Amino acid sequence: MIQILPHSTLLQYVYNELPPERQREVEEALQHDPDLAATCADLLLAQRALDGVRREPRPETSEAILRYSRTFLSKS
Amino acid sequence: MDLLQPSDSALISLYLAGQESAFAILLERHRSRVFTTILLIVRDEDVAEDLLQDTFIKAIHTMKSGRYNEEGKFSPWICRIAHNLAIDSFRRGKRVPHVSLTDNEILNNTLTVADDGPDDILAREETHTRLRALIQELPAAQKEVLLMRHYGDMSFQEIADATGVSINTALGRMRYALINLRKKMTANSLDYDSNLTPFDTSPVCVQRIAS
Repeated sequence: MIQILPHSTLLQYVYNELPPERQREVEEALQHDPDLAATCADLLLAQRALDGVRREPRPETSEAILRYSRTFLSKS
Repeated sequence: MDLLQPSDSALISLYLAGQESAFAILLERHRSRVFTTILLIVRDEDVAEDLLQDTFIKAIHTMKSGRYNEEGKFSPWICRIAHNLAIDSFRRGKRVPHVSLTDNEILNNTLTVADDGPDDILAREETHTRLRALIQELPAAQKEVLLMRHYGDMSFQEIADATGVSINTALGRMRYALINLRKKMTANSLDYDSNLTPFDTSPVCVQRIAS
């Protein structure tokens, strides 16, 4: 049986926000609905692309934060 | 998830008990997503570095003064602080936004695969720079949800609460953000660019299950 899942549910699935039983329902639906699976793949690809944009601050900035934290400790 | 890694909650407890190294782990764990969230809003490297410091300084004060709510999750909390500071800064608009591609510092800061040569790193950074530009083109409400969910690690319910909309509205905005982004990526020939998926691509196998 082909289930019609709302896109919002699929989005929550992609971001791992569904309880286990709802997650299983989505996985079942993905196996029987190629369009849904393709939409899911698109979401995963966009998600993966966004991961690549992630950036690191300069080490000096992290060090400045840690230094401040130590100063704060010594004051308290 | 690595079960040997202490939870954020445990690290905060250790930090408040005087273990400075616990805070160092907490910072290392979260600085990238907080910095990315800020950078994608203010679009200025130097401002983002300053705001990252401000964010963590604010967090240190809140934790040390006993005002941190242990029931909440650290990641969405710190990202909410960062988001608010970044939005305030961007609205003040003191600086002209710039994200330079040629700056060697950016290349040094990019997460890379160890075996990649300079050309691969440069190509990937070019691709990511173009993607960052596409994110900037999204409508403000969509971009806000995207940053909070993807980089801020806030749940859709937390985003709904923080932005004063229903969870369905937050989900709808995220959906359109991703759809718009995919359309823009396709239009900009970023769709099948291997630079965007240099790592494990296993989750995409979902597509093959359907056949």
